[in-house]
Amino acid sequence: MDAAADDSFEKQNAVHKVEYPPEIKTLIGNLKRLPGIGPRSAERIAVWLLKAGSEAVGDLAEALTQAQARVAPCQICGFFATEEICAICGDESRRGESLCIVEEATDILPLERTGAYRGLYHTLGGRISPLDNIGPEDLNLEGLWKRLHEGGFEEVILAVGSDVEGEATAHYLAHSLESYGVKITRLAQGLPAGGGLEAADDLTLFRALEGRTRVGEG
Amino acid sequence: MSIHAFISPVFLQELKLRHFRCFETLRCELEEGMTVFVGDNAQGKTSILESACILLRLQSPRTTSLQEVIRFEERSFAVEGELDDTRLQIGYSQSRRKLVVDGETQSRSGDYLARSGVLVWMANDDLDLVRRGGERRRKFLDFMGSQLYPAYRPALRSYEQALRRRNHIFKRDPKIDWNQVDAYTELLVEHGQVLLALRAEMVEALEPLAAEAQTRVSGENDNLGLQYLPSSRDAELGEAYAASREEELRKRVTVVGPHRDDLVLMVHGRPADAFASEGQQRTVALAMKLGQAALLRQRRGDDPILMVDDIFGELDKERRNALMQALPAGSQKLVTTTHLDWLQDFEPDAIFRVADGGIATESP
Repeated sequence: MDAAADDSFEKQNAVHKVEYPPEIKTLIGNLKRLPGIGPRSAERIAVWLLKAGSEAVGDLAEALTQAQARVAPCQICGFFATEEICAICGDESRRGESLCIVEEATDILPLERTGAYRGLYHTLGGRISPLDNIGPEDLNLEGLWKRLHEGGFEEVILAVGSDVEGEATAHYLAHSLESYGVKITRLAQGLPAGGGLEAADDLTLFRALEGRTRVGEG
Repeated sequence: MSIHAFISPVFLQELKLRHFRCFETLRCELEEGMTVFVGDNAQGKTSILESACILLRLQSPRTTSLQEVIRFEERSFAVEGELDDTRLQIGYSQSRRKLVVDGETQSRSGDYLARSGVLVWMANDDLDLVRRGGERRRKFLDFMGSQLYPAYRPALRSYEQALRRRNHIFKRDPKIDWNQVDAYTELLVEHGQVLLALRAEMVEALEPLAAEAQTRVSGENDNLGLQYLPSSRDAELGEAYAASREEELRKRVTVVGPHRDDLVLMVHGRPADAFASEGQQRTVALAMKLGQAALLRQRRGDDPILMVDDIFGELDKERRNALMQALPAGSQKLVTTTHLDWLQDFEPDAIFRVADGGIATESP
């Protein structure tokens, strides 16, 4: 392409450059700050909202206000709660001797969906990551020590990720938990359900071998 | 029946580059035997070999960051090639890496590499293997290990990640919380043990092959010996970390582990860097690469592709012939040189002249 021609084209257009009104630009600017929303998406959403009518926009604004005003982290475990404590911590039928530690509150829901766990949770609010300057002091550990100190737990399950940050966080916790005299376990790693051996990478297969389980007496 | 009946050379047939180093685009058909790239310095001969290396192994012998091979003022590069019956493709930009095998995008580099081929890179600075510090020799082991064992690369990457974080804590915190440091020590032990075991196995298998190559190239028995020297010596890796705490506090860095290991090269039982003649040292460097080719052939059942950067033109006639004879006959060879005078003794299958960001066929 001819650079000079390109240049003059830009100049001609600069004179007539029309932009969105400031109200829309502010809206786009705010939307862009949301995670996963780029400039193009922000623009699309803003235009959609303008067309959607005042009722839809009012509902959205109300939902935002309500969520912001009424939802706060559970005082005990850190999960989303509308009271002081969340639905899980308030559920008397749960097994109080088992505590599952997760990085983020959002990690609790997938575990709940399995239906396989009826114990309690504790949210760290992150994981140790020196390169991001996040240390143990930035995690909700004080609350954890307090809960364990009050007693009643027999097992602590470390349900953190299996990347370097997750592994390091697990090692740190395992070491710090030693003095509490509880059983410490980690989520097993292994073959993906419904897949053949050829679908697993070497490390997964290695860990699956290490964590193999007994299926019969013999 | 001979096992050689099953050995088939890896054959990179076609190579296409886009926005790679000095090339806007480039396409060339490579030959099954020897393909020669001739041209003045800084015309991009080595870059062509480098692109083939990145296509096959996802890493460059010249740089640790693939960002650097992107052409000036471009934002991404792509390399594509036909390896035996497999179409390989890598696209890379700062934010994204795309690996494709036979039209299918691979999310894991391990899956991609499993479908790719093996290679040996030979260059003038191989002499550094003998003369310079342990880093060059670790790189040599890591490059070979990644091609020999599927578990090597993941272990190396995890080890390096944990090491970076552990060292970061040493640099950042005036007062060290060992509980935090040891969260990473355990990762270093876990992955470091894998590296130690595989490196020891690899060096043991390499030694006789390299020694044989040494004898073949030099024409006399130099008794080339290799000794893998872990920085943890005979101690268990975990104990070695425990024993070096004081030193770590003082130096503020992780002082022991596979990232500090070395490989000692010996001629007649004495370290080659100090006691071998320059001629011997050059031969040792060649023998290490030839031994690597032999080991890859032995273990993988493929003759690796040989990428020979600017070596032949620099040798005298006698050593040139000896080296050519020592190269595995079945291997595909990609060779760069600044002049063609020496080539009359050999019969290259294709010659390309590299100049001004392009190539042109030249009759052999």
